[in-house]
Amino acid sequence: MTPATEKIRAALQPFARIPIPDDVDASLFELGVLDSFGLMDAVAGLEEAFGVKVPDADLTPRRFETLAKIETYFTSRAA
Amino acid sequence: MAHLAGLGHALPDRIVPSSELAARLDVTEEWILAACGIRERRWLSDGEPAAALAEKAALAALSRAELTPGRLGAIVVGTGSAPRAFPGISADLQRRLGAPGAAAFDVPLASVGGLFALALAVDLCPRTGPVLAAGAEEMSRVLLRAPLAKETAILFGDGAAACIVAPGEGPVSVVDVRLGSDGTFAGALSLGHDGPLEMEGRTVILQASRKLPAAIRSVLDPQGLSPADVDLFVLHQANLNLLKGVARSLGVGEEKLFVNVDRVGNTSAASVLIALSEASEQGLLKPGSRVILAAFGAGFSWGAALLRVAG
Repeated sequence: MTPATEKIRAALQPFARIPIPDDVDASLFELGVLDSFGLMDAVAGLEEAFGVKVPDADLTPRRFETLAKIETYFTSRAA
Repeated sequence: MAHLAGLGHALPDRIVPSSELAARLDVTEEWILAACGIRERRWLSDGEPAAALAEKAALAALSRAELTPGRLGAIVVGTGSAPRAFPGISADLQRRLGAPGAAAFDVPLASVGGLFALALAVDLCPRTGPVLAAGAEEMSRVLLRAPLAKETAILFGDGAAACIVAPGEGPVSVVDVRLGSDGTFAGALSLGHDGPLEMEGRTVILQASRKLPAAIRSVLDPQGLSPADVDLFVLHQANLNLLKGVARSLGVGEEKLFVNVDRVGNTSAASVLIALSEASEQGLLKPGSRVILAAFGAGFSWGAALLRVAG
């Protein structure tokens, strides 16, 4: 597990309705890990964890659907 | 400068409790409460149009403003569920009020329509005289066009509200109004002429949770005010969870939120004006207080208004 993945899992944990999957490509929405409001709070948590403000234009669910997509987005933004 | 000279609202008599919807949607009442905090909403009866509710609301607002319909300079109705493409509910309302002559038009922006109507009224009234800004919805008819979908059926209710906006200062003055839109998201919340309601719930929540606090700060910052300086937040009653999220984002306590979504559901364009009317009736617009109105709806579009109650 990469440091970024660990950071993401820690940021999502307070808002996860069920255990976060190991599969980084699994949909957090379809599994029921995050509902709409959990996603809203999780994005705020991720912004704080990575020190990155997600622009409004990027604020779409598909960017945050899987652990892999979240890592790709935030590591590219933080770079 | 403009002021709110009178408020009124009207709800259908028919109460639809979440227990009734739970049975129809094969979910539990607890699931509905957790998802949106709505215990019951009002739906129109067969043959009862939203324009009839708008008329009741308008007459109450006119009475409180001590005006007759003939004095209106314009009629602006926010809606998302007008029963035909044109003319809008505003035409039916004008006919019902017996006030021909003044410009009457709809603002079809769904949940933010009432706030946009109010904002337009603020700008129009110095030129036209008192303007009737209203929100009127028959969302239940939209829901019932197709088999009920739990994601939307649990949310929406019917209702109407009206506000007389007049030039100059008054008991409740409009200090500032700011509006915005981003057509990039037009497809995320839309309604075709005969189609079902299309709503990407996660996108709506994500964008609303960002745009609402920003809109509120956009009317506070120029006044040198912070959210802590606001006495009452009257927000579009979309969903109890969203209201609480906006309060957290602003760093204000939930006790400053006006909440009626649990009783009336999400009445879309009528929502923020129904909430303001109820808050007024409950004596919550206290002398000297600052009140925020804010809403988010189709487009996406959003806005906020800062009100000051005379001290």
